[in-house]
Amino acid sequence: MSEDVLRYIVDYALSLGAKYAEARYQSDSTLVMIARNGRLITLGRSVNDGVGIRLIYNGVLAFSATNKLGRDDLIDVVRKAVDRAKALSHLVRIPVRFSDEEVGRGSYEVKALKGFESVSIDEKVKLLGEFHGRVVSSVKEVKIPTTYCEYVEHMQRKLIFNSDGGFVKGEVPRLSIMFSLVMRHNGKGSLQRLMHWGASGGLELLDRWSPREALEDEARNLEKVLIYGVEPPKEAVDVVMGSEVVGLMVHESAGHPMEADRILGREAAQAGESYVKPEYLGSFRIGSEYATVVEDPTIPGSFGYYEYDDECIKAYPRYLYKEGLIKEPLHNRYTAFMLRSRSNGSSRSMDYASEPLIRMSNTYLKPGDMSFEELIEDIDFGVYIKSYMEWNIDDIRWNQRYVGLESYLIVKGELRDAVRNPVLELTTSDFYSRIVGVDKELRFYPGTCGKGEPPQGIPVWFGGPNVRLSKIRLGGVTL
Amino acid sequence: MSKELLFINELVMGKLRNLYDELVVHTNEVSSVMIKIVNNDIALQHAQTLYTISLYLVKNRRTFVLESSTSNVGELLRLVEGLRDYAGMIQESELYAPLPEPKPYKPLDNLVDEKVVAYISNPTQLCELLINSAINEGAQRTSGTLKLSISSKALTTSNGFEGFERGSEVVAYLRAFRGDCSGHWAYGSRFLDPRSLEEVGRKAAQYSAVAKDSANVSPGRYDVILSPLVVGNLMELIASMASAFYVLSGFSIFMNREVGDRVASEDLTLADVPRDILLGSSTAFDDEGVETYDKEIIGRGVLKTLLHNSKTASRLGVKSTGNAGWISPRPWNISLMTGDAELEEMINEVRNGLLITNNWYTRLHNYVEGVFSTVSRDAVLYIRDGVVVGNAGRVRIADNLNKLLNNIVMIGREQYLIKWWEVTTPSKVPYLLVKDVNITRPFD
Repeated sequence: MSEDVLRYIVDYALSLGAKYAEARYQSDSTLVMIARNGRLITLGRSVNDGVGIRLIYNGVLAFSATNKLGRDDLIDVVRKAVDRAKALSHLVRIPVRFSDEEVGRGSYEVKALKGFESVSIDEKVKLLGEFHGRVVSSVKEVKIPTTYCEYVEHMQRKLIFNSDGGFVKGEVPRLSIMFSLVMRHNGKGSLQRLMHWGASGGLELLDRWSPREALEDEARNLEKVLIYGVEPPKEAVDVVMGSEVVGLMVHESAGHPMEADRILGREAAQAGESYVKPEYLGSFRIGSEYATVVEDPTIPGSFGYYEYDDECIKAYPRYLYKEGLIKEPLHNRYTAFMLRSRSNGSSRSMDYASEPLIRMSNTYLKPGDMSFEELIEDIDFGVYIKSYMEWNIDDIRWNQRYVGLESYLIVKGELRDAVRNPVLELTTSDFYSRIVGVDKELRFYPGTCGKGEPPQGIPVWFGGPNVRLSKIRLGGVTL
Repeated sequence: MSKELLFINELVMGKLRNLYDELVVHTNEVSSVMIKIVNNDIALQHAQTLYTISLYLVKNRRTFVLESSTSNVGELLRLVEGLRDYAGMIQESELYAPLPEPKPYKPLDNLVDEKVVAYISNPTQLCELLINSAINEGAQRTSGTLKLSISSKALTTSNGFEGFERGSEVVAYLRAFRGDCSGHWAYGSRFLDPRSLEEVGRKAAQYSAVAKDSANVSPGRYDVILSPLVVGNLMELIASMASAFYVLSGFSIFMNREVGDRVASEDLTLADVPRDILLGSSTAFDDEGVETYDKEIIGRGVLKTLLHNSKTASRLGVKSTGNAGWISPRPWNISLMTGDAELEEMINEVRNGLLITNNWYTRLHNYVEGVFSTVSRDAVLYIRDGVVVGNAGRVRIADNLNKLLNNIVMIGREQYLIKWWEVTTPSKVPYLLVKDVNITRPFD
């Protein structure tokens, strides 16, 4: 697909009276391998490419997608979009407009150091077998009835042209692995763990992640939790949240509520609204001095990496919360216009058939400068929650719950007995206000963030350091 | 259209038949329009015309799946060629069984509602109906979507099955706000019924107004009435867990159960109903060309069957249930059998409890043991001695799926056709009353 074809689509939309038009060619191709108990079930390929066209006509925002790429097909799609917009326009009370912006013309590309083709398929299949083997051989007293693994290589290409002169070309390869294990013990029941690895880049990531060793450690630690884990304390204690949990917490309770389309109610019937009101921006205190949350699409090698968004706006790091204050929401050109601001390049689409929406990229809590040992050294009695399985949060991103998996008691500044299933249920304000310390170990974890209608899953990273919360009550789960 | 898709299938089959031992070609064409309503306004019209082709390929008992949504035939063929090369490098599939022998199937008639076809080009009137039905009932603002679609599928297998279907679908949901209170309702069917769209707006608005006074509900155990939206969300999870693939992969409460075990209250019957043409995923044949049939997953509280394709069926020594999915079987449409209770009777029955009208974000701590939680959204009505006394605000059900299934004590007498963001499998479900449900919220 060339810029000329996209320009032709945009020009045609303008000729029909559209005030704004954009055409995005997007191609997503994957290789997926699925294994159960280390044995391959199937190997899949997918290729998904077409054009997404967005226009504003008579104040109606219209998005149309097609993978029929003939000239007549594309013209037909634009014409129908304009016809429907005409018919709908009398229902519009507030016409859709976009903020005036400097749109970019540029390209970006993530280069794989080791391309996906540099390792043979049989070697990759063997790897999945090794994952299972390492888990099974690293436990002694428990059984591993099932492991399940999905290995995905993904190549995404975008070519975007809009009527304001924006033209962007992007190419990002991504690798991700999901591994699930069920662990069972006679007398102690079972536990389950999902582990994820994901980043942009090529097969060099496998060397960096060392997934075999990580799985061995994980299985060994979880065996102790299952067999020897004690009930969480009933009284309020200091709680230290591990990076993995902190990353998820900031994604859910800082990233989502700071999406400006939620703040304006555009996701009300789907992913919900936000506790953040427009008047909170820049002034509302949500937490302590440690509550600084950054959103940065430009972290090299990240899962949510991009340099220009799908509206051709240059990406840069943003502060969502800064030293406890609510700062800058994630904007696209529509929300920027509505809130009299500027877009900060947050608009992304899952595939060609999806409307560009405000999405997170890589969200993290700012680390500090102390070590983990220093973070916990003066805790007399507390709990360290290193990983989780279950979590959820309400539709305004206020009331949330995280259920710990690998967790330990902290006694006189040291990690001691394993703890089983501690439940942290708290409000967003509670979380950010109770932070009394953060260590310097910033770690990131991958996720697929869901939003929109039709729903779109977008690759993101979330991360943070280990975080200490002052006196908080933990619950337990219903077995 | 049928000739066109089947012709493409035949063309692909002709090109690939000699390269692979077994082959299934599945083509699909979808035309849809979705209108997104936000604050009584039209936020977006979203239209798609998509053509997809999916291939299931077997070489020496190695299985491959190719999914494509592209018109780039050259790229497609390159990938197919590449997959064949992999056959010599990978191991035999963990779950392999030969394609089922083709048999005649009884087609489903009348899957297309011509009204849906007509409104796709201009759904304005329906959007007005949806918004106004809520406003007329007192809602101050509304948000939701209306989606109309027409889809065609053609399936051809290398051992001689050929099938074609065309169907329509309408999905509408609306969230109505009055001050800080909100209500939500949804509708999904192959058929467009303006009265059902009106009901979506009306019920959403009614729930936004039922209880203005707030009620302070402490964490603890309550008897809980679940609306069809919540029932749809939880029963979709249960029915998905009946997929034999999920059972084999450790993502199911049925992993430690056998067919014939009691898994729920005696009154509960949960069925997969692919031949119910009211529901949007009704189909006469599955992705392996096996004729579908309606079946109880749980019948009067007893696990009757898992959902199978030919691979999982072969592994577990049973017959396919017509639920393929080439890799994972899945439910087509869900039906929860009615009881005889009116909603008012359920409310009268509750001494200290809640009516949860909507939920989202259902997550599991342990799929095998069924430890889960889900968060309410929209109205949660606090009930004392059979009377609604206030709105409890946002709470969480944090319990165990096995317990929940066994604690169902009353089932509504009316089924509602539900499909929306949190109920993606078309469902016919009533209200349920469940006793002794663990309700949590953050500690004060």
